[in-house]
Amino acid sequence: MTLTSISTGGEAAPPPAPATAAGGGPQRRGTRLGPSRARGILARLRPSVLLSFAVVAVVLAWSVAPTLFTSYDPAVGVTADFFQPPSAAHWFGTDHLGRDVYARVVHGTASSVTSALVAVAIGLLVGGFVGLVAGFVGGLVDVVLARFVDVLLAIPSFLLAVVVVSALGFETINAAIATGVSAVAVFARVMRAEVLRTRSSVFVEAAAVLGANRWQVLTRHVLPNASRSVLQLAVLQFGLSILVIAGLAFLGYGDPPPASDWGLLISVGKDYPLAPWLVYAPAIVTVATVLSVNRISRWLRTTD
Amino acid sequence: MSSTTNRSAARRAYGRYAVRRLAQAVAVVLLAYVFTFLVISVLPGDPVSNVLRDPQNNFSEQEIARIVAYYGLDQPIWVQLVEALSRFVVGDLGVSLRSNLPVSGLLADVLPSTLRLAGAALAVALVLAFAIAFGVRNLPAPLARPLRAFPSLFLSVPNFLIGLVLIQWFSFQLGLFLVIDAESLLATFFAAVALGIPVSAQIAEVLIANLDHEARQEYAAVARSRGLGRARLFTAHLLKPSSLPVVTVVALTVGELLGGSLITETIFGRNGVGNLVQRSVATQDLPVLQAVVALAAVVFVVVNLVADLVYPLLDPRVRLDASPARTKEVSA
Repeated sequence: MTLTSISTGGEAAPPPAPATAAGGGPQRRGTRLGPSRARGILARLRPSVLLSFAVVAVVLAWSVAPTLFTSYDPAVGVTADFFQPPSAAHWFGTDHLGRDVYARVVHGTASSVTSALVAVAIGLLVGGFVGLVAGFVGGLVDVVLARFVDVLLAIPSFLLAVVVVSALGFETINAAIATGVSAVAVFARVMRAEVLRTRSSVFVEAAAVLGANRWQVLTRHVLPNASRSVLQLAVLQFGLSILVIAGLAFLGYGDPPPASDWGLLISVGKDYPLAPWLVYAPAIVTVATVLSVNRISRWLRTTD
Repeated sequence: MSSTTNRSAARRAYGRYAVRRLAQAVAVVLLAYVFTFLVISVLPGDPVSNVLRDPQNNFSEQEIARIVAYYGLDQPIWVQLVEALSRFVVGDLGVSLRSNLPVSGLLADVLPSTLRLAGAALAVALVLAFAIAFGVRNLPAPLARPLRAFPSLFLSVPNFLIGLVLIQWFSFQLGLFLVIDAESLLATFFAAVALGIPVSAQIAEVLIANLDHEARQEYAAVARSRGLGRARLFTAHLLKPSSLPVVTVVALTVGELLGGSLITETIFGRNGVGNLVQRSVATQDLPVLQAVVALAAVVFVVVNLVADLVYPLLDPRVRLDASPARTKEVSA
């Protein structure tokens, strides 16, 4: 899932042609956020991007302070009010125990969001480090690490996540770790490519001629230049991780109920086909979040 | 004269490339096996003895001793690894801890179902991707613009959700297929749609990007200036150079087809490899898990190897003798 969408998505970015998207090569470090540049970014903030930021902001707010958004208890319901369709009192309806589904979604957000963040952090740190070392040290180290990444890529990432989570135990945090492990290869790949690109650029040669040592080249030139692509990948992976963790929760490899992770809510909801809102409400929230995150990632790629 | 030497040089270059890719593929499969072995054995917990000592399983002492000896569980881990690897190399995938049957037999039972599903899903994905790409380039702008967002939308939907919605609509409401008859033609088709939609998004993204790129080339401008219509330009000029790279992308999506079948098979109640994985995870049947991962890696590596070897033959723009860097770009 991850591999191709990253390696190819760059060219799929809509209007600004691929050439301009990639055109901010190594030189972009020099461009500071001047007034004209800020205006450029604002001009490119299309409604869809603004909407995406708004969705993500709401989701983050839900995960930080769920009680501000709902007065219902996510775990205790009014049994008499079971299976109520969505209404003004219960925006997303109620489930078989009369619990407010909106409250369950809002209270489940923190777990879904933090586990996706954990997954991205693992992929970013481990994969970034592997890619950095491979690209920067080169030689035999690069060959060995590149094989390692090939091996990780050869195992279907969802299968890898399932194997890791079954070895660690069925908990949401372990599902997050497993998702992170399955994302290591993609980060390593992108980081290595960025490092190689920057290292071969003229300004790094110039820095070396001027007497910069390897550490200075690394911290002053290579990392700042690579951070852009890696950040954009991290945002994309955040969306993907939400989907993968939801998939693991759906299969029952996360925390059991009464936890209310989004994937788990959908999984439990599917057992009540006569109350479709139990599936659709958490599903729409999940899709809207991932769609927004992907839109922001694409926007990051085209903004320079 | 010079053209024949060029050709034989190109053939030699292709031979060298093929041998190198083959060696790489073998190495990756073996290392994938080692990696999975280490993940399973190094992580905490001792599922094997948990399973063997589980009184519900009714293993006799002799059976336990036999299985322990077979897997070398009393040996240090690297000895176990070497033994497992030497069995794997000759095609022995081990014995299931639960059923005490050879894993290869268990896999052979469920593999056809998964291959049918994955094959059908790939077909769905290709049809869908080409349809989207055709629409994006040929429909009037008000229709084409939203169509461009489809791949992105497909990639944002959890694939279990697509399966659930399809079952809800087409099985429960329209009664087109019965969920209990999971292997029937229509049930397989809808399962393939659920699995194929996210895959189609990846193919469509590449296809659309390639088409956009080709449409900006000079030959396309020339063709347009000759008065060629949009649809004709698409079919006669843009389609072929744009769809060749799809071979490589399709090979890369194999991993997702296999991984995604885990969820799709669960939802549609199919008895395939994904279902076997689920059962093995639930019962901690590690030899089965190990074998499935190895098999998946073999399939992925072989398909990508074939794609990489066939691609230079399909696409005359790829020249292997020019520089090794070019081939790398193609296989990447």
